[in-house]
Amino acid sequence: MNRRVLALLLTGALLPAALAGCGIPDQTDVQVDGSVPAAESGALNGSPARPPEPADSSEPVPFIENYLRAAAAGERDQAYARARKFLAAEARDLLPGKPQTSEVELTVVRLREKPESTPPNNQGTSTVTLKVQQVGVLRADGTLGPPVASETQYVFELRRAEPAGTGLLITELPNVLLASDSAMREYYRPRTVYFWNTDLTRLVPDQRYLPSSAPTERRITEVMKWLADRPSDWLAPGVTGLPDGTQLINNATGADGHWEINLNMPGANEQRLTRLGTQLAWSLSDLDGQVDLKIQNQKRLTVDLRRERVSTAAYPRGGDPMRFAVYDGAVRPLAFGNESRAAVPLPPAENRNVVSASLARADDQVLAALVVTGPDNRRRLKVGTGPDPVTTLNPGDRTFRTMSRPTWLRSLNKARPAGLVAADGRLYRFDGAGRTSEIPLSVPGPVTAVAGSLDGHRIALASGGAVFVAAVSVDGGVVSLGQPRRVTTLLTGVTVVDWVAENELALAGNEADRRSAIHQLSVDGAWETPLAVEIGAPVTQLAGYPGGGDRGLATFSFMFETDGAAWRNNPFDYVKREQVLDVPSGSRATNPTAPFFLY
Amino acid sequence: MLTSLPESPPAAPRRLHAVRALWLALSGRVARLVAAVHQAWRRSLQVRVVTITLVASSLLVGGFAYLIADKITSILLENAETDVRLRLSNGSEYAAKQFNLYSQPQEAQLQNTIDGTVNYLAGGDPTQTSGVVVAITADNFAEFIEPRTTPEVPVGTVIGDELRATVASGKVAHQIRTGSLGGERTKYLVYGSPVPTKFGQVELYYLVPLARQDATAADARATVVATGVALVLLLGLLAALVTRLVVTPVRVAARTAQRLSAGLLDQRMVVSGEDDLALLAASFNQMATNLQRQILRLEEMSRLQRRFTSDVSHELRTPLTTVRMAADLIFAERDEFDPAVARSAELLQAELDRFEELLTDLLEISRFDAGFAVLDSEPTDLVPVVHRVTERLAGLAERVGVTIELDLPDTPVIAEVDPRRVERVLRNLVGNAVEHGEAKPVRITLGQDQSAVAITVRDHGVGLKPGEEKLVFNRFWRADPSRARQTGGTGLGLSISLEDARLHGGWLEAWGAPGQGAQFRLTLPARAGDRLTTSPLRLVPADATVPFGGPRDGGPPAIGPGGGVAALTAGPAGGDHAEARP
Repeated sequence: MNRRVLALLLTGALLPAALAGCGIPDQTDVQVDGSVPAAESGALNGSPARPPEPADSSEPVPFIENYLRAAAAGERDQAYARARKFLAAEARDLLPGKPQTSEVELTVVRLREKPESTPPNNQGTSTVTLKVQQVGVLRADGTLGPPVASETQYVFELRRAEPAGTGLLITELPNVLLASDSAMREYYRPRTVYFWNTDLTRLVPDQRYLPSSAPTERRITEVMKWLADRPSDWLAPGVTGLPDGTQLINNATGADGHWEINLNMPGANEQRLTRLGTQLAWSLSDLDGQVDLKIQNQKRLTVDLRRERVSTAAYPRGGDPMRFAVYDGAVRPLAFGNESRAAVPLPPAENRNVVSASLARADDQVLAALVVTGPDNRRRLKVGTGPDPVTTLNPGDRTFRTMSRPTWLRSLNKARPAGLVAADGRLYRFDGAGRTSEIPLSVPGPVTAVAGSLDGHRIALASGGAVFVAAVSVDGGVVSLGQPRRVTTLLTGVTVVDWVAENELALAGNEADRRSAIHQLSVDGAWETPLAVEIGAPVTQLAGYPGGGDRGLATFSFMFETDGAAWRNNPFDYVKREQVLDVPSGSRATNPTAPFFLY
Repeated sequence: MLTSLPESPPAAPRRLHAVRALWLALSGRVARLVAAVHQAWRRSLQVRVVTITLVASSLLVGGFAYLIADKITSILLENAETDVRLRLSNGSEYAAKQFNLYSQPQEAQLQNTIDGTVNYLAGGDPTQTSGVVVAITADNFAEFIEPRTTPEVPVGTVIGDELRATVASGKVAHQIRTGSLGGERTKYLVYGSPVPTKFGQVELYYLVPLARQDATAADARATVVATGVALVLLLGLLAALVTRLVVTPVRVAARTAQRLSAGLLDQRMVVSGEDDLALLAASFNQMATNLQRQILRLEEMSRLQRRFTSDVSHELRTPLTTVRMAADLIFAERDEFDPAVARSAELLQAELDRFEELLTDLLEISRFDAGFAVLDSEPTDLVPVVHRVTERLAGLAERVGVTIELDLPDTPVIAEVDPRRVERVLRNLVGNAVEHGEAKPVRITLGQDQSAVAITVRDHGVGLKPGEEKLVFNRFWRADPSRARQTGGTGLGLSISLEDARLHGGWLEAWGAPGQGAQFRLTLPARAGDRLTTSPLRLVPADATVPFGGPRDGGPPAIGPGGGVAALTAGPAGGDHAEARP
């Protein structure tokens, strides 16, 4: 009986306890579900350069040069941190500590002269003076904007670091984050992204910069962010961005030729995504592989980058380039080696009294614009379009005292061709019938030259000795220009300019020593290299071929006219009389002038 | 128990005292309760059945309830775990892809990417999440990477150190922890996974609140418990009802049987229906009827037998009177006959005497049997009675060479008795003693106290064998049937004596041992109708050798069962028959 009572009590006590005990416990032991293999560490497919350190040099000038490199040497977000290492403790307040990512802007300057330093004074401090040219501001979106500051000289004060013998530190400095253009060349790589024009018919290049250490996946991420963001300020009027609210969700991922981009994109439809795919294919022009486009995690489109580039051109490249020049008042083809050549696509009756000319191909048509001299020694346009050869040329409705070489805007539709020409210091638009109309411009000084790019949505201007670029937009056949942006160059008195590559200009002007020179300049002014120097006389005509090196010409091919003679590069030589073809018998023996490319 | 030390302050003993009192009161109450429960347990079949049913069904239902509740909980938990594990694995994969871009923890974009990844994994909009918290920590790179949580709550308390260490060592692990993340305390299922990156490892955690699962489990548990309790109670009720159905007829049967055994032979059970209990009742009734018939038949037979004895005795008396008168005539004339006939006349006379005596005894017995014996009590001095009996048997004693010794008090021994019956008893006892005395002295002792008087008759003959103390009072019993009858006893003497003693409310007992003779004791109450408790004299004589100790002084005249020693008693306390007193 006792046992029964015991069992009864036990049951009564245990049952509720057991039931209460079989709920979800307050706390359990840690249970291991498995393990995750560690990722292989190691370098990525970028080239992480070691940033310069303060201890790398103990001489003032190299120290300052290293300082100018430090900001550019690596992640932009930590530019301030890297630069602050060069500062003495008392000077650190001169540079902000940890700004937001979007606020990190590098002021890119070009050293005009070798930096000068004073010897240490009694307190052991020395001064370094930099003579600089403001190149621009490298922004968070990778664009190099026009310079904000106008200083031409920066002064740094340095002192010996404590303890002695461990190097130098900066005690006085300008309170902007400076980087030299050479450092930018060293640590950044230009990347071209493409935006659709307003008609959504072709892509317009936009120059950006990315640290060269960024791996491929980062590049895809950055490019996608740039595309989702807005284009460069000066280019904005001519192009359309992605729909507002388009946003990259986290990073693009993937490797080995297969990547994945996850986006927020309002109103994403088939056409928009296809266009974005084309944009990406061209913006990642050196990558082959596939990109999966996801909208809100839904895979919508797979872009094969290379196939997309093959099937859809960014913009029409025109035909194979051919050289022409004006010889004895007529346009004649030039023959160099085995370059392709063709007859002049002009009616022989009209091909006389030519000062300069511009020919362009648009599909099967040829656009011709000639500047001819009249009996009153005034200049007049002659414009004609049609299949090769052009049969009729329409004379322009106005005459000018001076006219630059005209340029065709290659983006326009065949039915309504349009071109630009600088005449009497102003910029004029002309059409296929030779009608001219002035385009108002807000640039100081007279316009002396104008050149359209291969994509047809950008032009370069020489105005008042300076170089400008501007976006062209065509709305209902009306050509309008965006606000021109001045491009910093070392040359002064620039008279002529043309495109020699997608994002490169060739321009002629005076160097600091007043001698003529031809420089190559990136479209934002960041890179400038001399192409031809110590030219005896001013350059009066300049023509470049921007289509690249795969069409029978070397890259950066250009021709120019100086002192009544035509010159060319690759190899650098003047254009000889014998190289002019189709010269009718009885022509005066003269030098070929005003050379140009037909493409 | 506790004892207070002399050094203790006076309060302590008082308190101790109070505690002890409380303890005693409590334990007393508990003991009473236990006793009551015990009694109920022993007495009530219903209580037992209901209790056993309750216990057994509680165990069974409890076991099942536990199983079900446990199963529900584990299924809920398992579902949650599977869900979170899937999310974690996807999240970890995603995060690994995201972080794959970075080869150094100090890269500034990494922090942004971590923020973005946590946001993305938490579902983007923090207001729409279902309480799930996603966190990424980098314990190995705490100087470069801030831990990030979406929504922003302090998760440090919920992610335990042990889990942290396990995940940091490269293992996917989970744990349930309770904590409050901004709101009320909730149980969280914390899942952690390392996310491999090129610079090392960061950790991804999912904290999923288990409030819904907990509530569901609690609901299920409550339902199961309620159902179980209801089931147990129902079973208990059912058991009580069923038992009641069985127990009630059994109780009726028990009561009826009690009444039957008390002599109410016409008690019967109510038979209702045709079930087993009805069969029981019918069988019981049949048994009772049979028993009643049998008893009545036996009573009738006994009555007839007694009637027959009485009638035969009466019927024999009339012819015997005639024969007696003729025999007396012949006996008176015996001198005139030849010796052989004279001898026959003497024999005839003697046997007629015995016949008459036998008839008288038989009539006496049949009077007792018929319940007609009436006690005619009057205060009597027993000393003259003894003397009278002794004198009457002096002749016989002399003939067999037995001396009768008397041990009588000097004062009169007065008792309220029927002197005729007492004298008959004494005559019987002394006659037997003389007859079986084997020429050894017979001693008669008379004693009294306040409530009783007693007479013992001791002889030193062959004695009684064990068990014969009882038999001597049987009718027509003889110790040695082959022994020659010398006194011509009828064999009914001791039976009649026993009836006489019983009529007085007294005892007649015998003691004997082989070779030690025998002693009979008659004890009578001093006042008629009083109840006897003790006897003034001992049943076992002082000179008897007793194997185990002696008789207890003043106690009931009892002798335990032992080799060669036996005692028999008779009296009203023993009911209708003489019985052995323990």
